[in-house]
Amino acid sequence: MKYSWLLLKNVLRNRRRSLLTITSIAASLFLVTALLTLLWELKNPGQTPESALRLVTRHKVSLFNTLPIAYRGKIARVEGVEAVIGSMWFGGVYKDPSNFFAQFSVDADQFFEVNADMRMPEDQKEAFKKDRTGAIAGKNVAERFGWKIGDKIHLKGALFQFDPELTLRGIYDGGSDDGGSLYFHWDYFNEGINNAGFTGTFAIRARSAEEVPKVAERIDALFENASVPTKTETERAFLLGFLSMMGNIQFLITSICSVVIFTIILVASNTMAMSIRERVREIGVLKALGFRSGQILAMLLGESVVLALAGALLGAFTARWLFASLNLPALTGGFVQKLNVGPGILSLCALIGILVGVLAAGVPAWRASQRPAVEALRRVA
Amino acid sequence: MKIPLKYNLGSLWVRRVGTLMTALGIGLTVSIAITMMALVNGLDSTFVETGHPNQLIVIRDGALNEVNSYFNRDLFQTVRLLAGIAKDEQGEPMAAGEIIVVINHPRLTGESSNVIVRGTSAMGLKLRPEARLVQGRWFQRGLREIVVSESLSNRFQSMRLGDTLHMSRSDWKVVGVFNAAGTAYDSEILADYEEIAQDWDRPIYTSILLRATDAPAFAQIRQRIADDRRIHLQAVDQKEYFRGQTVSSAGIKALGFFIAMMMGVGSSFAAMNMMYGSIMSRSKEVGTLRALGFSRWSILSSFMVESILLALLGGVLGCLMALPLHGISTGTANFVTFSEILFNFRITPKMLLLGMLFAATVGVFGGGLPALRAARTNLINALRD
Repeated sequence: MKYSWLLLKNVLRNRRRSLLTITSIAASLFLVTALLTLLWELKNPGQTPESALRLVTRHKVSLFNTLPIAYRGKIARVEGVEAVIGSMWFGGVYKDPSNFFAQFSVDADQFFEVNADMRMPEDQKEAFKKDRTGAIAGKNVAERFGWKIGDKIHLKGALFQFDPELTLRGIYDGGSDDGGSLYFHWDYFNEGINNAGFTGTFAIRARSAEEVPKVAERIDALFENASVPTKTETERAFLLGFLSMMGNIQFLITSICSVVIFTIILVASNTMAMSIRERVREIGVLKALGFRSGQILAMLLGESVVLALAGALLGAFTARWLFASLNLPALTGGFVQKLNVGPGILSLCALIGILVGVLAAGVPAWRASQRPAVEALRRVA
Repeated sequence: MKIPLKYNLGSLWVRRVGTLMTALGIGLTVSIAITMMALVNGLDSTFVETGHPNQLIVIRDGALNEVNSYFNRDLFQTVRLLAGIAKDEQGEPMAAGEIIVVINHPRLTGESSNVIVRGTSAMGLKLRPEARLVQGRWFQRGLREIVVSESLSNRFQSMRLGDTLHMSRSDWKVVGVFNAAGTAYDSEILADYEEIAQDWDRPIYTSILLRATDAPAFAQIRQRIADDRRIHLQAVDQKEYFRGQTVSSAGIKALGFFIAMMMGVGSSFAAMNMMYGSIMSRSKEVGTLRALGFSRWSILSSFMVESILLALLGGVLGCLMALPLHGISTGTANFVTFSEILFNFRITPKMLLLGMLFAATVGVFGGGLPALRAARTNLINALRD
């Protein structure tokens, strides 16, 4: 540490080169941060303490098969179930098919017991429950379309021959969908489909987290031999099912990240090789002055690590700042609700920076430190 | 007076380790860009190449696709007897009533995805001549038999010839494997209509596929179905219908663009670094060139050329690294039908050209400032150094 001033002086010796290296690494690490955060958000959908209590029941064959609403009463009586609501994907069109967002018809009476992690004023909750054609929308959706409470929202049915005419009664934040959906009354929906009496899924709140696996088993056992068998899983597992449908995203993203990191190692090692080559004689002088090989190696490695780490942190923090200030749902048409660059990813980026620094300077620094002073001084740079 | 290209090639060769490292960095960037393009193109062309001219898909009015659609069986008879529908050798109208159901099934890797099962008929197969058997035989009614596409069979559990697959309430035997020439039908399981409708307890059709005799008849049938208010159906051009599903690639497209841009920025700075280093270490040489009478302009263009050459070397490396991906099969979610769509990475000469162009752009951005710097070299100072 005694020689850190020397190390810093060396970093600043060729300012343009250092700046270019740092910017190049920063651009790459910005990309890595964005990709890793996207992957993390996809793999950890809406995690709140509440979401650990939630389960989803669907038809055993697939989500495309519906369940009779009569199952609601039977599920409500299962031991460990605190609240249960029917929830049906509506998939309607708002003005234009490109305005895609999730819409569900739900049992409003116990909706807020199941979704206790949705933040919304009590009076809005009551207003929604009371109005059969009322709807509530997530903050992100409402912002995207400029909706205010009291606005009329007309949806055109695509899966169903029913065009609900809704009135916005509340705007929520949070919840497992991060304010990205619209909910309206299942009763109203059922009336629109000639009282066919079905739902896509049931959302369940268990009494305690310990009981969650048992509740799932009990529900599925109840309908095992019925003509409509069920599959019950945790909300997290249910949501991760959608990620697995998208194919091997994890492989795609991790391989791109590895390629990017490899590219930065090339960039940084090129820089370090250039800068070490230029001062072979200088290193010889240091040796002649009595610096040991180890000290020189440490100094050169340190220099490289400082450069790479600066680039990595610049990239990661720029990403963190940028994603926090951009309106991502509007930019991505609702596909990405948020990209929260957490401390885990920031530390991972720092680690990548250190690793890149060490690997990049490794070979040239080792060679330079091992070269005898006499030979180094004899060299014409 | 122009500085000969040999000079640039020579100086790249002298710094060959640095040259190779920078070129490799640019190459990796180019190869990622090509990979993302090949992914999008593979997915898009799967949809674009599906369907035949003069064929219509009839679905419920207001439904966005087959999966959303359903209508009563008697409507099939109304549609089947419309004038202008082509006849097969037996004189039967070429129209097939079909049902689509979706199963959630594990891939070989263990994760599950939705797979389309289509209940169809011999006529339905006739309307899709691109679907050819590669193993076994077609399904027969009454035996709970299915025929699986080759791509599905390679990707999902218990879909090999001879396997038994449990779907809905029955066990179904895989009696054949087909290949639909890289179209969207390569992501489906085919079975008999009656059996699927029965097993799923859905006595409805989701769609009718039909062939018109010619283009005027095609337009006529389409109009007649749209005008008939009693039946609430719509007829969609089969090719257009699948082309509409290319929206599934929008996410990958945006992601790919973002990745290529960021990597391009990174590589430009890296190339700039390399070019600065290379130009600074030969300021004497540059001074000599000026003394020999080469103009500032020829020095500027010479260094630009050198940077572009360096980048193009990277471009070639990138193309070579990306090429082996061509033809590799993969799958993702079709955002329209909400089920698995299988496709192959597809690299075209145009993509390689775009990759080279991308590399050249990196070269221009990376070489611009250093070349300007070289052109501004003060003759006296440079030679005195």
